[in-house]
Amino acid sequence: MSMLPPVTEDARLIKALYDLVFWLAVGVFVLVEGLLIYSVIRFRRRRADELPLQVHGNRTLELIWTIVPSVLIAIVFGLAVDTMTRMTARGTLANPVAHVHAIGDQQARRRVEAAQPVDMVIEVIGRQWVWQYRYPGGDVITTEELVVPANKNIRLDMTAADVIHAWWMPQLGPMIYVNPGEMSYVWFNVPPGEYVGQCNVYCGVAHANMIARVRALPQAEFDEWFAQQSAAASVAVEPGDPERGRNYFMNSACVACHYIEGTKAQGKVAPRDLTRFATYPTIAQVDGLENNAENLRRWLKDPQSLKPGTAMPNLNLKAQDVEDLVAYLLTLR
Amino acid sequence: MASISIPVPWRARAKSGLLGWLATVDHKKIGLMYMVMAFSFFIGSGILGLLIRVQLAAPNQTFLDPQTYNQVFTMHGTGMIFLFTIPMVVGGFGNYFLPLMIGARDVAFPRLNAFSFWITLGGGLVMAMAFVLGARSDASWIAYVPYSNKQYSPTLGMDIWLIGLILTGVGSTLGAVNFLVTVYTMRAPGMTTWRIPMFVWAMVTTAAMVLLATPVLTAALLMLVADRNFSTQFFTANNARLWQHMFWFYSHPAVYIMILPVMGIVSEILPVFSRKPLFGAKAVVISTILIGILGFTTWVHHMFVSGVDPVIERFFMFTTMVIAVPTGVKVFNWLATMWGGSIDLKTPMLMAIGFLAMFVIGGLSGVIQALVPVNQYVHNSYWVVAHFHYVLFGGAVFGIFAGLYYWVPKMLGRMFDERLGKLHFVLMFIGFNLTFFPMHILGLMGMPRRIATYMAGRGWETGNLIATIGAFIIALSLLVFFVNVIKLRHAPKAGNDPWEGNTLEWTIPSPPPEYNFRHIPVVESDRPAYDERMRALPH
Ligand code: HEC
Ligand code: HEM
Ligand SMILES: [Cu+2]
Ligand SMILES: [Cu+2]
Repeated sequence: MSMLPPVTEDARLIKALYDLVFWLAVGVFVLVEGLLIYSVIRFRRRRADELPLQVHGNRTLELIWTIVPSVLIAIVFGLAVDTMTRMTARGTLANPVAHVHAIGDQQARRRVEAAQPVDMVIEVIGRQWVWQYRYPGGDVITTEELVVPANKNIRLDMTAADVIHAWWMPQLGPMIYVNPGEMSYVWFNVPPGEYVGQCNVYCGVAHANMIARVRALPQAEFDEWFAQQSAAASVAVEPGDPERGRNYFMNSACVACHYIEGTKAQGKVAPRDLTRFATYPTIAQVDGLENNAENLRRWLKDPQSLKPGTAMPNLNLKAQDVEDLVAYLLTLR
Repeated sequence: MASISIPVPWRARAKSGLLGWLATVDHKKIGLMYMVMAFSFFIGSGILGLLIRVQLAAPNQTFLDPQTYNQVFTMHGTGMIFLFTIPMVVGGFGNYFLPLMIGARDVAFPRLNAFSFWITLGGGLVMAMAFVLGARSDASWIAYVPYSNKQYSPTLGMDIWLIGLILTGVGSTLGAVNFLVTVYTMRAPGMTTWRIPMFVWAMVTTAAMVLLATPVLTAALLMLVADRNFSTQFFTANNARLWQHMFWFYSHPAVYIMILPVMGIVSEILPVFSRKPLFGAKAVVISTILIGILGFTTWVHHMFVSGVDPVIERFFMFTTMVIAVPTGVKVFNWLATMWGGSIDLKTPMLMAIGFLAMFVIGGLSGVIQALVPVNQYVHNSYWVVAHFHYVLFGGAVFGIFAGLYYWVPKMLGRMFDERLGKLHFVLMFIGFNLTFFPMHILGLMGMPRRIATYMAGRGWETGNLIATIGAFIIALSLLVFFVNVIKLRHAPKAGNDPWEGNTLEWTIPSPPPEYNFRHIPVVESDRPAYDERMRALPH
């Protein structure tokens, strides 16, 4: 009954508090269940006509089990407040207006910026059903994972594009909702490694697919990765690969809505089953939208522009993923 | 027993047959109908719970598609809370036993009582039929905006869900008024404040909570209906937290609305099967009332991570933890009642002990997750699912079964089979713990609630498999219960007082006549039936 190994100071504070209170609770548990089991064994009815002493109460005992738990509760409350204060002092659990505020509240925003010196700020957008990470400069955007330099102070500036989400990364410290129309923040500084978490506020059909991954690399490797990404963002993508496309499809939100016979994709939101998608004359039954690679590319990049009001969301796919998906989808006959 | 004679009113000449049920204003028939309704919804929502467990038994399963899964857990939660637990404990046990225990011939407003039942049933049927026919909400039982707005939940199912809940809410509010007036005005002569039975105290507190809390939920639901259909803007994206406040202002007290009556039942059963009076009865009453009051001061503990001021967080962390004190007082008083008693482990007592043993776990995990920093880890994880099932299943459901095994002999006049009852208890106890204990660990390992599936390799496989096996053991235990119910038809008669009870319902025949008491009893202590038994003993 233990939390996952913490990798940040905040997560360590949380776990230390939990561990302490957990063992206290175990003590109370053993006491109560022990008394219960003892009574059941010791005071079982032996004769049908026995009438035990009719005790109505005992002032002293009752005072004891009112006061002792009260003191215990007060101590635990004190411990929790102490943990909160220490987290606040670190700037992570900063003042609320700073921690979560309406977009455009400049005063709160300044307080956030003053809260703690940071080495890198990454913008996070939670949307149905991906996490999108925008790096400084704006060229590099990732969705599958958040790659960060290890042992650096990172701040995530988070908001949601549609409904409420939460970026829950249990090993990294406290969680906070990511609300539409508001900013919320997470600070962390982690050793090299890979961490997994996922969206923690129910956000619809593919909520379960909203996985979040963090990969922390030593600074030099991170710089190399970042340079690669920046370069990739400007060069043309390579031709689509159906195998990669299939892989992407089966491990993303697509499966929550789409049905492809004999695969993991068992979603029933989309009206037409994709098992023989390549044989359909049009895409999404839109008149004139012939089913070919070019139109499919446009559809995947922005379904709303081709069929306003459609239930198929814009998933902000990367150019390469679109190519792979197109290649895969056109093999479905 | 001393008694006074008041002529039996004309209503006592009851109709029989189907019309006798449809047109009845008898609190006992209404109570039974509440119980049958609630139990049916328990079965329905329980089957949905099994579907959830089948889907999650292993990673990457496609037994339910994600959309259906989401609809299923939404209806499971809604059904269990609004259509099973609350109508069962308040409408069912409350209606049947509150008047009997205070020596009254009915509730204060019998027609209003019938209306409460029918409108509650109406709300339940609307939701359940829409679910079966395919108009389902998938917004979870807490239906947070903006997800539940028209934009993200355009379906008719969402509107029907809201309307169904408004109807059941009206039913419970009216029922609460009725109970309060009944206890205030219709107690038998001699039933002074401190002679009111524990179950009745619990119902009075519960009714007061229902009266204060439910209208807030009803208002929120109406506002959401208006937002969705008439373009009002109560809960715009920037106002999302208003919904959370209003919803939890009802739904935290709702936990006590579900658990206080059950605590009342347990406070009746433990003394009877220990042959001792309830230890520190006054303290138990005061704790009940305190829990009722404090229950209204804690709702923000559901919002520790949605962005509220840390000062406010500290306040609500404090109030939440404070509730542990009166709750602890009750637990220790129950233990002290058993201590030195003459304990008879009949099925009602086993179920009550099961309640006590399991509820403690839910209470302790509740205090742990009330700590803001801990909450920022476990919020919305399976830890929370484990916690509230320990309170609502380990607590409420075990307590409800304790009440059924205790009182069905009074209601139907027949005794349950003890061996089947014990088998039911053992299976349910094992199944329950197998299902819900591993969920604590899953939550700590990072598994969020409300996910339709999960990937392999995160260490969640074993816990989920065990939970699913446990769920089927629970289902098996319920089958044993049904066999027991069916066998009731040919079971031995119960007589007036099979358990040596303490309260007034045990002084009249089983099942009680329509007018309950031929002569209105005069009460001389907090244990009138005990007094009568003692007087009958040869000196
Ligand atoms: C929220 C559910 C949802 C998700 C997630 C989703 N889709 Fe769709 N998709 C739909 C719906 C609904 C339609 C039908 C649109 C219409 O007819 O208006 C659709 C249509 C399509 C079509 C056209 C099918 C046809 O009937 O012609 C393709 C191709 C497609 N989606 C691919 C994808 C891919 C690839 C992904 C993952 C990257 C994806 N979808 C994710 C809901 C979804
Ligand atoms: C029959 C045995 C039961 C089983 C197997 C079961 C199982 C579950 C599971 C696995 C979940 C989590 C679903 C998810 O988050 O994806 C859940 C949710 C829930 N359960 Fe149960 N449960 C049972 C009985 C009960 C009872 C008796 C109650 C209340 C009295 C209850 C109330 C709830 C509620 C309120 C939710 C939350 C639904 C939501 O997230 O919207 N359950 N149940
Ligand atoms: Cu999400
Ligand atoms: Cu609560």
